[in-house]
Amino acid sequence: MTHYKNIFSKRSRTVILFAAILIGVLLLAVATHQVMANSYLDENSSTTSSDPNWSVVENSVAVLNTEPENSVKGERPATVPAPEQSPCLSCHITGSNAGLWTPLARWVLFGTMGLIFVFGIVKTGTVIVTRSPWKPLTNRGVEWVDERYQLSEPMAKILSKPVPKFALHWWYCLGGITSFLFVVQAITGIMLAFYYKPTPEAALASIQYIETQVRFGSAIRAIHHWAANGMIVMCIAHMLRVFIMGVYKAPREMNWVSGFVLLILTLVFGFTGYLLPWDQTAYWASTVGTSIGGAIPIIGDLVLVFLRVGWDVTGETLSRFFALHVMVVPIITVVFMVAHFFMIRRQGIAKPL
Amino acid sequence: MSDIKPVKDEGDTIPFYPDHVITEAKVVLGIVILAIIIGIIGSFAPVGVDEPANPLLTPAHVKPEWYFLALYQLLKYVPQTAGVVSIVLAVVIAALWPFIDRKKETTTKARNIRFVITVIGVIVVIGMTIWGGM
Repeated sequence: MTHYKNIFSKRSRTVILFAAILIGVLLLAVATHQVMANSYLDENSSTTSSDPNWSVVENSVAVLNTEPENSVKGERPATVPAPEQSPCLSCHITGSNAGLWTPLARWVLFGTMGLIFVFGIVKTGTVIVTRSPWKPLTNRGVEWVDERYQLSEPMAKILSKPVPKFALHWWYCLGGITSFLFVVQAITGIMLAFYYKPTPEAALASIQYIETQVRFGSAIRAIHHWAANGMIVMCIAHMLRVFIMGVYKAPREMNWVSGFVLLILTLVFGFTGYLLPWDQTAYWASTVGTSIGGAIPIIGDLVLVFLRVGWDVTGETLSRFFALHVMVVPIITVVFMVAHFFMIRRQGIAKPL
Repeated sequence: MSDIKPVKDEGDTIPFYPDHVITEAKVVLGIVILAIIIGIIGSFAPVGVDEPANPLLTPAHVKPEWYFLALYQLLKYVPQTAGVVSIVLAVVIAALWPFIDRKKETTTKARNIRFVITVIGVIVVIGMTIWGGM
């Protein structure tokens, strides 16, 4: 169990420093976000031709907030009346409903205090009753799991695997950066999918809604947008590094092939995600991109019909690209990433000349 | 299998945990901080959207995503079928490159040649991308 000791060593002070900076930046972001969003809206509220059509969002919110027409007095409503509810349907998203977070904050604060109190009583009582020193909770947890599943031996074997020192050069980080950017894309992508609507009528308005109304919506979309570009750049940089060093040779051929498939999947991610806003740029970029696929001899027409679901880019194309982007391609990517990592683990990091 | 040499000398290696994991954690924290900075900038200046899609109105300059610009520019100047066939062939050859280049290396000569080829290739592709973006 000596491996678990080092986590509080001097070395991890750097990590703690990084984490403190991270928390500080996060708090700053939380504190300044609303102010920034408001100032952006104030500056851009005058409607110039180049600006997005913000009124679409405002109208959709207004429609949500109006009373249904069939609630005229004296007349029996055709449907069951809606239960009593807050008139503002989007207040919990926009943050204007200030009292919503207070109960949760109280639960967390007083709940934590109560847990510490109960823990103190249990700890003191146990020490008095058993007359033996107190064992830390982490040790208890590790022992509890180990008694049942005997994990400590294989885990120690996995964790103590020696890594060559030359693998600490920055160009060995490129693949790791790519895979972490994939995690960033998965998290921000799920967040965006909560509010995105994949239909030609609602897609653009839902993205304008994300950028103007949803708390941190524009920040999350910006991260998703730029991390997508960064992932492609890092993927290509990683591939060029492997190519230049010549470490794709035997016995690592299949690692190169799986990495190449991952590059193609990353490009498919970018290509299918680009259409989702359903604006002019996206529509015509997808038209041009799919027409390149349609120029392949013999199977070109089949490729075109498969990509566009017909001969033109329509709402069906949007549905298909959305399904590919959020379900099919991620699953295939995860499978290939697991294979890629497993092969690296088995064969070790290649020693350059 | 002769290429897989488990590193015996402890002086040349570090343990995966905690040394290597902490190094990777620093990289991850750096990316997270970068992402948060991008998010703060994104709150000031959202990515934004274009005009709603109109299938009947083709814009003056139709462009694909930036990573397809080089391909798009190439296809403007070579016959389309030949261009697409050569691209598909290039992708297949690149995917199966380890099975084509099987020679064992003992000197750094081949690596230097690959480095020069890569630099030239990257410059050409970046040039094509900028040209296609104009």
